[in-house]
Amino acid sequence: MPASDQLETFTAGVETAVDVAQIERQLHELWQLAAESEKDPSRRQITRACLFNFIVLSETDAEAAHASEVISTLTSHHPCRAIVLSAASSTSASELSASISAHCHLAGTGQKQVCCEQIAIHASGPSVAHLGSAVLPLLESDLPTIVWWQGNFLTRIDLFRRLVAVADRMIYDTSAWPNPQSQLAGLARALTEQPRCSFTDLSWTRLGLWRQLAAECFDEPHCCSELSQIRAVDIVHGCGPGAGVRALLYGCWFAAQLRWPLPEARARIHLSELDDGDATAVGIISVAIQTDDATFSIRKNHGESTASATVDMPNACGLPRKRAFWPADDASLLSQELDSPARDPVYGKALVIAAALLEPDQR
Amino acid sequence: MAMQTTLTANPLREGISTRQAPEPCLLVIFGATGDLTHRKLVPALYNLAHEGQLPQSFAIVGFARRPKTHDQFRAELRDSVAEFSRFQPVNPAVWDSLAQAIFYHQSEFGDAQGYKSLDGFLKKLDAERGTAGNRLFYLATAPTEFIGIIEQLGANGLVQSGPGARQRIVVEKPFGRSLPTAEELNQALAGVFDEQRIFRIDHYLGKETVQNILALRFANEIFEPIWNQKYVDHVQITVAESLGVEGRGGYYDQSGAIRDMVQNHMMQLLSLVAAEPPTALEAEVIRDEKVKVLRAIRPITPDQVQQFTVRGQYASGSMAGKPVPGYQEEKNVAPGSRTETFVALKLFVDNWRWAGVPFYLRHGKRLPKGVAEIAIQFKAPPAVLFAAESPEPLQPNVLVLRIQPDEGVAIRMNAKVPGNVINLQPVKMDFRYGGSFGARSPEAYERLLHDAIIGDSTLFTRRDEVERSWKIIDAIIAGWDASPAPFPYESGTWGPPEADEFIERDGREWRRP
Repeated sequence: MPASDQLETFTAGVETAVDVAQIERQLHELWQLAAESEKDPSRRQITRACLFNFIVLSETDAEAAHASEVISTLTSHHPCRAIVLSAASSTSASELSASISAHCHLAGTGQKQVCCEQIAIHASGPSVAHLGSAVLPLLESDLPTIVWWQGNFLTRIDLFRRLVAVADRMIYDTSAWPNPQSQLAGLARALTEQPRCSFTDLSWTRLGLWRQLAAECFDEPHCCSELSQIRAVDIVHGCGPGAGVRALLYGCWFAAQLRWPLPEARARIHLSELDDGDATAVGIISVAIQTDDATFSIRKNHGESTASATVDMPNACGLPRKRAFWPADDASLLSQELDSPARDPVYGKALVIAAALLEPDQR
Repeated sequence: MAMQTTLTANPLREGISTRQAPEPCLLVIFGATGDLTHRKLVPALYNLAHEGQLPQSFAIVGFARRPKTHDQFRAELRDSVAEFSRFQPVNPAVWDSLAQAIFYHQSEFGDAQGYKSLDGFLKKLDAERGTAGNRLFYLATAPTEFIGIIEQLGANGLVQSGPGARQRIVVEKPFGRSLPTAEELNQALAGVFDEQRIFRIDHYLGKETVQNILALRFANEIFEPIWNQKYVDHVQITVAESLGVEGRGGYYDQSGAIRDMVQNHMMQLLSLVAAEPPTALEAEVIRDEKVKVLRAIRPITPDQVQQFTVRGQYASGSMAGKPVPGYQEEKNVAPGSRTETFVALKLFVDNWRWAGVPFYLRHGKRLPKGVAEIAIQFKAPPAVLFAAESPEPLQPNVLVLRIQPDEGVAIRMNAKVPGNVINLQPVKMDFRYGGSFGARSPEAYERLLHDAIIGDSTLFTRRDEVERSWKIIDAIIAGWDASPAPFPYESGTWGPPEADEFIERDGREWRRP
């Protein structure tokens, strides 16, 4: 294929199969072509940008395809070297294959394209065990490495250990895990065992607005003094995937931040599932924070992607505060997290309490 | 900078990345039907609402002369938001929520009765909307109205809106047109507001890349050790505009390039580049350091203006292949006007760090392209090693802070061209905000309005900064008044040839941005 066609194919996002050992060389040649093409005024200028290594772990072809779509969106604001690892069932025949492509976005006035490369590595059968070694040489030096594990990394502990050793941040979504509550203790242990790596749960990200609205309820000094008087936190959640684990983490966040001992946390946090057939009731629906003198309520507004907070308290400003939820698709959640500091000790504290509340001997 | 504030008393705030929820506030915009309100202020307020950055209890009252209803005013503002907001299309829920907090108050700016009725209206809104007597007055009128409005605010009790309530005022540029007029305005302000309640806008300070100057200098160890007279040959600050006066001939002819751009924006850039490290990222500390720079600038006396300045005025020419008229042919420009549309200055900051390093400032209209940048040119490396192989003298390193467009940072360095011989060539390492972070920076006015609402004055100019800057500029203007007319330059060029000669006399040349 002529060089110019190779470049066109690459920057158009079409995957080109490459030998795993030749990935770096192939990419280098393609970017070289891009640099040379700048001399041709009829061609659009191409700039390669990369702020971090982004390893995505996919378990299925569908997950890998979804990852590719997410990366395409994400790279418009978060340029990176994306490495999508697709680890098929270990019972398949042994295979290790790779392809490269680019995600390009028009920058500024549309005269220049900012491009990021995506490397896809597919492993099946015994080759899955070698995925880690295929990734390490591909990491850009001096840049942070962020892993987005689409499934449950606790079920692939060997690969997890290999990747977490080079990762600065591990992103996952317990809402997508089967029976996530049963995994929280293991997750809390993993956090403790890997202090160098930051852990980010997209379930926690989805709680951002709920936490913000709750925090805002107590910003005023006369409301803040009510924090020590809380006797109940009643959280109602829907029956969608992950709704229960998010409600649990939310309740435990109050316990962690207000330093409730475990028995008090158990007594004050009340979770209830609302199953009234409302398909939109997939996450948390409402929370009521009760003190002796006041009730602080936050409720998802029906039919809107907003939530409102109200305060029922003598002498309190009764105006409702309404906020819009951040879009909850994977690309938006990841983008939100990549804009935030990696380390979130508040999550760790809530997770530890959640795991402790679920311990059989504590029930 | 000192702008991320969290409420540590509220433990639920820990780790929540949103900035402090601003306290209740009533924003009164004087000049509510003007261009600034429609193109900048209200779109910025909508953007803040979109991002949930406005106070829970908030209202906007537009104050202007033209009669109109609240609903007419809201409808006009919605059109402006649709045209100028960075969030498109307009989100009906966000707009509806904001619109129900927008009101209009019609009055002449000099009519005391209009302020008395405004006071009553604001108190009524306080009761209805829980704005607690907190006021932010925004002067977006013609500057000739500023003092009158400030005095009316004081005389009619609008700055005593209840115990514990806070009243602040935002003043747009131009902040005076000379030191005496700036002092007069400052006096009027000081008669009604404490200095910490006065927010003088310089919208350049709201730009991300300008805020990044401090981050680049003090969050990176590699730059600060060489950021001084031992390593820096000179600094060039360029703010070039491709536009002409664009219908502002009447205003501009009274102002000129030095008042319109140099006294405020460019002096701010200079002071940020040259400042010593602040001991804390707090408003007063940072502004103290900026003032020290302004104090250290060697004054240009009127008899030195020929030596240290060049001014020009654009003649007809062509821009982007189309003919354009000269300044004298622009509407509302006085015949035979001597107003400068181009200015080049050489300033020295007489302190330990910058002794002997010239700061060249260049600004003009109808230049080939719109660009703003700060270039730190380092001293040339000794030629001993490569002199034999390289016929051309080695290019000195340059660090360029690009403010607009293509915000970013670039470093020019010398590299060997691949081959069997030693051939050196300058290459550029280029960091572009747009490429690395995407085009998602908030507008300057969003940042500045939010900061004014929460009372953070870091990105606003203080009285002594303004007055010090005027003192430098006034002396130059006095020299120009006794000098020949500005040099003409063809539109679409980089200024008059005399500007090139001006810098070439020092053995240097202007950068081509």
